[in-house]
Amino acid sequence: MPESWAPSLLCLGLPLVGAIAISLLPDRMARSLSMLAMLAVLALSLQIFLAYDAATDPALFDFNLPWMPSLGINLHLGIDGFNIYLLLLSALLFPVVLACTWTSAESRRPLYLALMLILEASLLGTFLAQNLLLFFVFWEAVLIPMGVLILVFGGGQRRPAAMAFFLYTLAGSVLLLAAVIALGAECLRQTGSWSFELTILYGLRLDPSMQLLVFVAIMLACAVKCPLVPFHSWLPLAYNEAPPAASALMAGALSKMGAFGILKLALPFAPDVAPAAAPYMVWLAVASILYGAILALREENYKRLVAYSSLSHMGYIVLGLFSFQQTAIHGSMLQMLSHGVAVAGLFLLLGMLEQRCGSAYRQVTALAIAAPRLAVLLMLFVLTSVALPLTSGFTAEFLILLGAFTQGLAAWGAGSGAGLLIAALLASSGMILGAAYMLRFARAILFDSSDRAPAVRDLRLGEMTPFAAPLLLILWIGIAPGTIMSKAQGVASQLVQAAATVEPRPAAPAIASVWSGHGK
Amino acid sequence: MGSDLFSGLLAEELLLVLLLTLMLPEMLKVSPRIADALVKLVLFAACAILLRQYAQGYDVDLMPGEVRVDRFAVLAKLVLLGCALLLTLVSPVSATFKSGFLVCSSLLGALVMMDSAGFIPLFIGIEMLSLPAFALMLSGTGTTSASEGAFKYLVLSSIASALLLFGIAFAYGITGTLNIADFAQAVGAGSSPAVAAGILVASGFFLKAAVFPFHGWAPDAYSSARVQVTSFLASIVKGAVILALVRIFATVDLNSATFAIIAVLSLLSIYYGNIAAIRQRNFKRLLAYSSISHAGYMLVAFIDTTGGRVADLLWYVAIYAATVIVACASFAILCPGERDDVQATDGAFQSHPLAALVFGLAMLSLAGLPPLPGFFAKLFIFSSVIASQYLAAAIIAFVGSFIGVTYYLALFFRLFATDARSPLVDSKQSGTLVK
Repeated sequence: MPESWAPSLLCLGLPLVGAIAISLLPDRMARSLSMLAMLAVLALSLQIFLAYDAATDPALFDFNLPWMPSLGINLHLGIDGFNIYLLLLSALLFPVVLACTWTSAESRRPLYLALMLILEASLLGTFLAQNLLLFFVFWEAVLIPMGVLILVFGGGQRRPAAMAFFLYTLAGSVLLLAAVIALGAECLRQTGSWSFELTILYGLRLDPSMQLLVFVAIMLACAVKCPLVPFHSWLPLAYNEAPPAASALMAGALSKMGAFGILKLALPFAPDVAPAAAPYMVWLAVASILYGAILALREENYKRLVAYSSLSHMGYIVLGLFSFQQTAIHGSMLQMLSHGVAVAGLFLLLGMLEQRCGSAYRQVTALAIAAPRLAVLLMLFVLTSVALPLTSGFTAEFLILLGAFTQGLAAWGAGSGAGLLIAALLASSGMILGAAYMLRFARAILFDSSDRAPAVRDLRLGEMTPFAAPLLLILWIGIAPGTIMSKAQGVASQLVQAAATVEPRPAAPAIASVWSGHGK
Repeated sequence: MGSDLFSGLLAEELLLVLLLTLMLPEMLKVSPRIADALVKLVLFAACAILLRQYAQGYDVDLMPGEVRVDRFAVLAKLVLLGCALLLTLVSPVSATFKSGFLVCSSLLGALVMMDSAGFIPLFIGIEMLSLPAFALMLSGTGTTSASEGAFKYLVLSSIASALLLFGIAFAYGITGTLNIADFAQAVGAGSSPAVAAGILVASGFFLKAAVFPFHGWAPDAYSSARVQVTSFLASIVKGAVILALVRIFATVDLNSATFAIIAVLSLLSIYYGNIAAIRQRNFKRLLAYSSISHAGYMLVAFIDTTGGRVADLLWYVAIYAATVIVACASFAILCPGERDDVQATDGAFQSHPLAALVFGLAMLSLAGLPPLPGFFAKLFIFSSVIASQYLAAAIIAFVGSFIGVTYYLALFFRLFATDARSPLVDSKQSGTLVK
């Protein structure tokens, strides 16, 4: 079927075409045109998401075009279990973000809209790329539109923020490029020709030193992107100074690139090194969870508070991935979705508040009286963040911790130390801290004494509708995760099996199968 | 044979005819527009001829041991002439008879270098390349700083020629011929006099290409010339010198002593150029330091052992030269006149969106950020280097190029800078306050 590759190419092509079109057409059409392009991508990715399940032939959505054949670089886009969630997440966030900033001054500027569309194209390119070099190209290309978005539309300290964001993330991937080329050269050595096709590279037998290089390079790049402690110092500045739309996208979608890189590259390319390094990575993740939570507890600035909470939540994803346990990996992938929509919603609502009150939004209290609709929405996202049962946050974090505990208990039983078990225990305390700082945030902004309630205009119905989509997703994952989890089943078990061939692991799939059947 | 001498060197002959005709209308006081049109036309025709030769797979030893037009020569000439055509299209370099004449004679020298299989045509070529460039730097500026820069260039260029001649004399002593291929073979074999000759010849070229310890003339020379002349020096003159080095050491594997020298010099060049460029506030000086670091990237390609360096460097020179030309032309639009303070580009995106965008993308391409062409140029070189098992050298070079990103990025961000009084910020603040 020749047109089967069309959806994955169009996801990338439509925003690019849109970006070119709005720079040529009159300014007043720009906003509607970008929305149209984003909605079209959302429709396409929804269609892909619904059509895809673990049994789908991955070749169905494959788009493969030779680009530089002598080096084995192809324009190769495809859908697999790794990126199916992230495709939906990014495609969903962009129109929501644009709709929420619809009335702001910047959304009338073609530059802003063009940057958003280019950002969407490069982000989707990163997720869909099935060629390592193409992946790297998109991975870096994301920085340019985001850097300019912060620089032009950001707050008072936008220039240092943009510089810090750009240079910090770029520094992380200096080694990544070396590792990418080294993998291609290794392919030349083993097969006699250059190739950066992921399917070919996965088949190479890498010796431990090569695995170590690749693993360290990828982890460094991803740890900056996620970010993980101690690579997070760009985060508070960038999240705070960026315009609301950019913060929402950075925390919601861009940070997932780091987790995606670990899932898609670090684990498969280093089947020996990754399990060996897992204890250290788990401790790094736990450090992020706790450090982010403690900083958030002490933070007075709302945006920075959400930024630190994001640091904490990203820690759970990494913890789940390095538990090497099917349930935990499922949890991590769900957490990518869940955290993506929840944190984006929080940043967008804070942005709306800032748009209404100016810089005085930091003193806003008793919003529940002044602007009840805004308050309800904010509270819903807060509840997702604190992982209330029936929201996606609970499903994801519970699965991660369950998986980590199972694995930790098994490791303890097998006499290989209680490290993972202690890490999982500490991570669970992060959930309590999370509830503490998020509810403190909610109390300060929503409920405080009513006599100081500010005159904040409440949300109109039209301003509320964009939030319906993320809330729907949150409830869907919270109530019936099985329907979504089945799509990534193949990938999760494949990763665990790859690790299990190195180090025998107890039978965990039984639990996962209970869970994946849960919602059906 | 006679027809081959005619058709094989047709591009050079066309340029020669152009040079002769360019002298005529100046005496007759015809409008300089004609010169401009003539130069463009001839460059276009020469490119077309070379394309045809490339399509035919032209490969003839015109004068054994002296002149050889092979695939590399055709491609290298195509790259240089193509960039020259781009230069005449986007900047007023051929707007007067004098500068058009000088540019074309310098180009002729570059073409002769690409054709040479012996040292005599190579030496003639390199002198023809540099001497008009010296005059070009002086023409049309009328300032004393320009003559200072040009004079430095002249003196160091003569030293380079002397080193080169000394090396050629050594080579003649060892091999008994002036054939470049014999010399390259002797250097590859690694006897100590041959290595000494190799180092002397290479030092001559390093001086002309402004590689790290031989770079002293570049910042002064580049900053004193007019911006279109600077772009000519940084793109075509430098590219021709590097491609001539490729011509000499085409696929010779280096022995360990030469390898160490090349690796160290190239990495030092990258670091020195990039670190020194960070503090520059003057665009042409910044370009000079950036070109020192780019000479380092090009030199790194010589440590590969896969034989990929010829293709890699052709790509690199083509992309780098075209990017520099485009960057200089768009910079000239953003800051008309002779002002070249980088602050002049602050917020240029508001006033000249297209030129600013082109300039910004050229900067990011020079920085080597994907998905811009400069990234792929670096990728080709470093994939050869890494395939030759020199991973450490590549990583050190990447770190150096990351340092480079800082100042290119600062230039890029400058274009979008908005100060407190700009209309954008005002409207944004009022927008939030009203609501």
